This record gives sequence, structure tokens and C-alpha cells, in this order.
Amino acid sequence: MRVLDKPLVVSGELSWLGGDRLERRVDLPTKETATIADGQVTQQREGRKPRSFSLERAPQLKVLLDSFVALLGGDPSRLADSFDVTVAHAGSQWTLTLKPRDPRVAKQIASIRVDGAGTEARCMRMEEPDGDVTMDLLGDLATKMPDAPTRDAIAALCGGTP
Amino acid sequence: MRGGARFALLLGWLLVLAALGLLISQRLVISTDLRSFMPAPTTPDQTLLMEQVGEGPGSRLLLVAIDGLPVEQLAQLSRSLRTSLVNDSQFTQVVNGDFDMGVLDDRLLPYRYLLSPTLDTQALDEDYLSDQLQQRLDDLSSPAGTLLKGLLPRDPTLEVLKLAELWTPVRSPEVRDGVWFSSRHEALMLVQTRAAGFDPEAQGVAIDHLRSAFAALPGSAGAHLTLSGPGYFSVLVNAQTREEADWIGRISTMGFIILLLLAYRSVRSLLLGALPVVSGGLAGIAVMTLAFPQVHGITLAFGFTLLGVAQEYPIRLLSHRRAGESAVESVRGLWPLLLTAIASACIAYLAFYASGVGGLKQLAVFTITGLLAAGLTTRYALPYLLPDTVRDVESTPGLGAFRRWLDNLPRPRWLPIPIALVAVGMLVFAPGPFWQNDLSALTPLPRDLLMTDARLRGELGAPDVRYLLVMQGKTADDVIALSQSVQPRMQALVSSKALDAFELPSTYLPSEAVQRARQAKLPDQATLDAALTAALSGMPFRKDLFAPFVHDVEAARTAPLLTPELFAQSALGQRLAAMLVKRGDHWVGLATLSGVRDPEAISALAPQFGGQLRLLDLKEASESLVAEYRTRILHALLAATALLLVTITLALRSVRRAWHVLAPMTLATFLVLAVERVAGIPLSLFHLVALILAAGLGLHYALFFERDTGDPAEQRRTLHATVVCVVSALLVFGMLGWSSIPVLRAIGLTVSLGVAFHFCLSILMAPHARQD
Repeated sequence: MRVLDKPLVVSGELSWLGGDRLERRVDLPTKETATIADGQVTQQREGRKPRSFSLERAPQLKVLLDSFVALLGGDPSRLADSFDVTVAHAGSQWTLTLKPRDPRVAKQIASIRVDGAGTEARCMRMEEPDGDVTMDLLGDLATKMPDAPTRDAIAALCGGTP
Repeated sequence: MRGGARFALLLGWLLVLAALGLLISQRLVISTDLRSFMPAPTTPDQTLLMEQVGEGPGSRLLLVAIDGLPVEQLAQLSRSLRTSLVNDSQFTQVVNGDFDMGVLDDRLLPYRYLLSPTLDTQALDEDYLSDQLQQRLDDLSSPAGTLLKGLLPRDPTLEVLKLAELWTPVRSPEVRDGVWFSSRHEALMLVQTRAAGFDPEAQGVAIDHLRSAFAALPGSAGAHLTLSGPGYFSVLVNAQTREEADWIGRISTMGFIILLLLAYRSVRSLLLGALPVVSGGLAGIAVMTLAFPQVHGITLAFGFTLLGVAQEYPIRLLSHRRAGESAVESVRGLWPLLLTAIASACIAYLAFYASGVGGLKQLAVFTITGLLAAGLTTRYALPYLLPDTVRDVESTPGLGAFRRWLDNLPRPRWLPIPIALVAVGMLVFAPGPFWQNDLSALTPLPRDLLMTDARLRGELGAPDVRYLLVMQGKTADDVIALSQSVQPRMQALVSSKALDAFELPSTYLPSEAVQRARQAKLPDQATLDAALTAALSGMPFRKDLFAPFVHDVEAARTAPLLTPELFAQSALGQRLAAMLVKRGDHWVGLATLSGVRDPEAISALAPQFGGQLRLLDLKEASESLVAEYRTRILHALLAATALLLVTITLALRSVRRAWHVLAPMTLATFLVLAVERVAGIPLSLFHLVALILAAGLGLHYALFFERDTGDPAEQRRTLHATVVCVVSALLVFGMLGWSSIPVLRAIGLTVSLGVAFHFCLSILMAPHARQD
């Protein structure tokens, strides 16, 4: 992130609650639960009042939600509705690149890239136009997070073409 | 008069009218401020009321609801509409529940440290900064990250968000998809206009801006926009009244023309007969433009209504012409009576001048000038233009039989007594309140609009229009300081459910003392730098990231305190300016209240603040104002009646004859009052004006019926003239009586009833027929 001089690492669990509902539980560094449901994002942090805001105000979350739900629900037409989709294969490894179609969203999100092997998605990275990158290591890979991660190190872990 | 001279006279007359028209077109400035039609305020409460009615924060508020589409699309429309309105100078505040990061513009942004209460309990030291920075770090990794990222370098403690929260109305509607929604799934918005509420023209411009901004939004086609609020109502009432008065006017004018053509069978007489009234109208407006800087729109509307009496003058002249007699000879015979009628009407209208109300004074000047001009032209110009030979209306078929039938009606001497008793009885036992004290009845609105307004106001928690908390002080800052000390007391009243919410001037701007105290708590640049560096150690933030923050704190520490004048350059400051007004040598602060349940509990605060604070009940103030107003008009009318009595007695040189003229007129007037009261209609200003017009017409009927000529043909002419007058008045005002607009209906109904009663009583109480 541009505002930070080293990467911010959080770990926790992302669960799909069915429909358009997603829960993101963070265990480290601070306990926090964020729920996306009915167009509303609610954040609950230990010892503080819950905060909530409209999904419309955070387009990158909406995109994340769309791509997640479409991927997890196996709904390619929903993906194609919101994104330009390109797929690259290399053996059993594959890379899915999603570029948002809505110009308003594109201002916040440059692209989403999902790397996987076989039937499993291994990591997901979201690039913002200002150069900030959010990388999610999914499943088993999450335990392999290095102590002092760098972009390249994670990209290597993902195993996709950098 | 020979053809050439006649033509020259007509040309001269038309030229004078054209000159008057030119003068008017150059000088006429029409004002639409309804307040000039209200009485001059005498108490401080009434003065405030008059200001509030037109310019107060409540009167500038527009309530907006958008419906007809799914929630997400409505929310999107609400957000887009807000964006376009915020950039429009017509509006000083636009709120829809959306979180607003741009509440302060760039120039005022450093002042957030003086406006936000954070520094009252916190210092910008290492502990606080480090806690805040840790929270921001968590924020960055949270879903709200992108939202806050842009704000972070300048405002790491998120003061802007605290202010946005502070300035969001306390009792706000349900938020869905980030914006306010009503229980009926309408997206809601509150918009404050720069224009005063009771300036329909300026409000019209603002509303047009709002509507076209809405129409320009993509996807707005399927949605429906509902507006409400005092400003919108004034625009609506203006437009509706004008539209309805226009089409009613067109129809009744056509009827009037047909009637006159049937009565006199001469196009030339008809056209020439219109000249005196046109002259009266133009002369009236011309004199008004010379005497007053602005002419009120209502004066013109009422004035032309009252000038309806003048149409009688040419009608009388046309009806009273005999075969073989020139028009000049006819008018000489009529003139003494006509002059009495004109003088009496002028005296009655003089009562308006004495009322002390700006608009009514104008009305008096207009009608008196108009009547004089119409009367004098009927006497000295019109007769020379009329054709030499005419059909004597005396021979109109059926007229003789009608006259005989009327003459044969029983005319008991005691007739006035039971009529008077019935009228008094009806007045005493009539249901409902006698007077319409509600000021809003002067601008009556369709009921469903008022219901919508009440519903939206409830949902939005918009301030009551009725109550205001008034504070005063020597300077604006004194008022703000007072407002600050009132704040905890009001908060306690909210907790005890005396009211739902309040908004004080100090909500927007703290007093200078508080600002100074907060300024003193801001660390200097070196201290802040040190604290920040210490707080940042071990954090992943870039070291130079917070330079804008340090810069803003330094700016806030050294800036001159924020004054209302300086603040007024921003939209929020405009909001404050509406709550803080200078009056004479002192300042007045106005706090708006919502959902007031216990006004006494709020009033009870007043003594504790040394009389500098009080609860203003606008309804009570307005009712006292209207009552006072009415008393003044009634006194003026009483004086006018006495003058009228003297004038008529002198003119007729007989008390008995004067009685025969004035008794039917007075009785008929009371009868109209009684009938309207029995029908449950409370009387308003409009009824009074209409009653006076009817009385003016009735005076003519009585004067002419009372005239004992002993000549059956002349009596038939009198009847002809009166019937033409009565039918034309019934035609014009009867049409108004069917109007859906309460104002027009009040005038129409009252005049129609009046004309009918005056006609019947004038005939039944005329003396000579009894002697036959």
C-alpha cells in the first residue's frame, strides 16, 4: 500500500453464507468481523460499537463479493456480467483475470486475478489503480504466509506467472 | 356631437389610456411577498413570526421523496441528485443520510479542530495519536479501507467524520443502501433553498433547478419525485390560483359579453361601455406605481375584483337612455345618484387605507382612483361617444310584466325585524369558530398535500414549523455562547421525552471562548512532530505520510477564530446564517425543534436564562396577529359605515330616505354573514373583502330602487339596469364560487350570496312600491 512502507498482513476466515452474503473474520492482528449482507457492510471490532455503511460506498467490496459469489457458486454468466474474463492455462495451473466493466468500479479496482491449480483456487489478488495490491492466500496456502512478506514472494507462492 | 369631434375625443381618450399603459409598463414592479398582505407586527414575537414566515430556516426547507423504482436504483438516484444539488448555488444544504466527507471545503478544513469536540476531552499527544493510528491501520485492512485511505494523510483522527456525524440530524430516518428511506420505500432528502420560503418566484426557480437536475439523472425516467414544504406550497398555490382564475375569468368574460349584447343589442355600446372600467383600472395601477415602490400581486387581483362595481356605471347609463334623448341628457339625470354611489363606495374603500396594512393601503389607493376615473369618464367622456339614437330598453319584452310582478309582492313594513332576528339567531347558533384565525388559511392548500407534508416531516424528523427556541444577545458570539449553555438542558429534555430533537446555532459553530480553548490545546508543530514520530514507531505507515495533518493542525492553531461571517462562505455556514440573525442592535438565534410534546417544559427553561431565551409558538403569534388585524379592519369598517351614513343622508337630504337605502344594504350584509356561518364557514380576510364588494353593489341597487320617479317607464329602466348588473355579477362571481381554490371560492360565494340578498331586500324594502 502506498500509505504504508511495508505490507499489512491479516489472517482469518472468509466464509460464504449463501446468496449475496459474505463474512470476513479476522483473528490477527486484531479480532474483527465484517459481514456483507443485504447491501450493507457491518464491521464489529472488539470493544467498539459496530459500524456499518452501504456497499455502494465501497465498490471494491461489491466487486469482491460479486467475484467470490460467482466463483464459489460456479456461476460463469454472473462473472461475465461484471467483468471482462480471460483465462490462461499452464499444465494443471490456471490464472483467471477479471477486469471490471463498470468505469466507476474500474476507478477503484484495476483487476482481480485468481490463481489456482486443478479444482482449487490458491490465491486471489486485487490491484487498485493507484498501485496498491491486496493479496489473499486461500486454503492451505494461507499457512505458508512468510513472516516478512513481499509482493514477489507471495506471487511466487501463488505459483502463477508473475 | 359631430362625427369629427367624436372621433377626436375617442382618439384622445385612447391616447391617454396608451400613455397610462406606457407609464405602467415602465414603472410597475410586482412583489409576490405574501407578508405585505399581513398586518404590521406589534410584539417582538409577531415581528419574529413575520421574519420566520418568509426567511426562517423552516420556511426554506424542501422535503424530497423519490419512489417508483427498486430500492438500489432509488438510492443511486438520491446520491446522484445530492451530488448535482450540492454544486448548485440555489441550495444551501442537501442531506440524504449519505456520509459526507466534503462537509467543509478545503479552505475551512483546518477549522475542524476548533469545531469538533475531540479536543475538549483529548490532547493530540503520543498516546492518543498512537491509539488512533493503530485503529486506522485496522481500518485499512478492513472493508472500509478504500473509504478512508484518501482521508488518512490529512485527517488521521477522522475529525471530518465526527463533524459529519455531529451535523447529521439527530432523529433521522431508516438508512438503506446508504441513504434515508421512508417506511413506504421512498428515498428521502432534505434540501434547504437560498431563496426565502414565501417568495414564490425565487422558490419557483429553485424548484425548477431541482426538477431539471432530477430529470437529467440517468434512470430517473421511471422514478417519481415528490416535493413538499412551505416554499413548494407557495409556488403551487400561486400557479393553481392563477390558472383557475384565468379560465374562470375567460368563461365569465364571454358570458358577460353575450349578456350585454343581449341587453343592449349594440356592439358599439358594448365596446364603448368597456372604456370607463379600463380607464379606472389603468389609472388605478398608474397611481399605485407612482405612490408605492412595489405593487403587490394580490392588490391587483383584489383590486380588479373590487373594481367590478365600476362596471355598473356604464350599465346604468346604457339602461337609462330614452328614445330620442341624447346620452348627455341621460347622464345628467343620473349623475346625482351615480355620484352618491361613487362617493359612498370610495368612502367604504377608505376603510382599507386606515387598516395600516401595506397591501390593503395599496388596495385602497387602487380602487378609489379606479372608481373615480371610471365614474368621471362615464359622466364626462362616454356620453359624447355613444350613438345618438338607441333602442329604449324600457320596451324589452317581459320587463314590464316582471316589474308588475315585483310591485305586487307583499312588502310588510315589519319585514326587516324577522330578517334581522333570523340573522342574529343564525350568527349566535352557528357551528364552529366565527373567525378563521389560522394564518395558513390565507394560503389554503389541498388537504392531501398537507397530509403528505406531515407524513414526510414525521419520517424525516424535519423541524416543526410551529415552535422555535429564540435566543438573544448583544453579539452573535453571545448568542452562540448562550446556545452552548442551553444545549445540555435541551439534551435533558430530549431524554425526558419533552421533544424529539433540536438544532442549536452552537451545533454548527462553537463560541469564540470554546474555539480559543480548543486552539490553546493544539500542540505546536515541534511538539506534534515529536508526538507523531513517537506514535509512528513500530507502525508500517510511511514517515512523511502525515505532513498534511501536521500542516492543518498548525493552520488551526494560528488561524483567526471562525466567525459566522467567515463561515457563511460555505454551505454549512449558510445554514448557520439562517439560524443567526441581526436585529437592530442585537442578535437573535433561532433553534429549530422537532416532535415537541411538552412545550411547557421547554418554556420553563426561559426564566433560568434571564429572559434571553424563550419558546416561540408561531401558531399562537400568528393567530394573535390575525386577530389584531381583523380588529383593525373591523374598526375601520365601523368608521366607514358612520361616514357612509352621513354621506348618504346629506346626499338624499332625508334621514328616512337614507334609511331606505342603508337598511337593506346592512341587513343583506348581515344575512350573508349569517348564512356562511350556518354553513360552518369560518370567516377570513377574503370573506371580508368580498362582503365589502357586495355591499358596494348592494348600495347601488338600493339607491336606484329608492329613487321615486313616478314614471313607470323609468322604473322599468331602473329594473333593467339592475337586472343586468345582478346577472353579470352572479355570472362572474357565481363561477368563482365553483372554484376548487378556497380563496376564489370564498370571494365567489360571498359576492354571489350578497348580490342575491341585496337585490331581493332592495326591492322588498323600496318605499314607493308600497305606496302604489
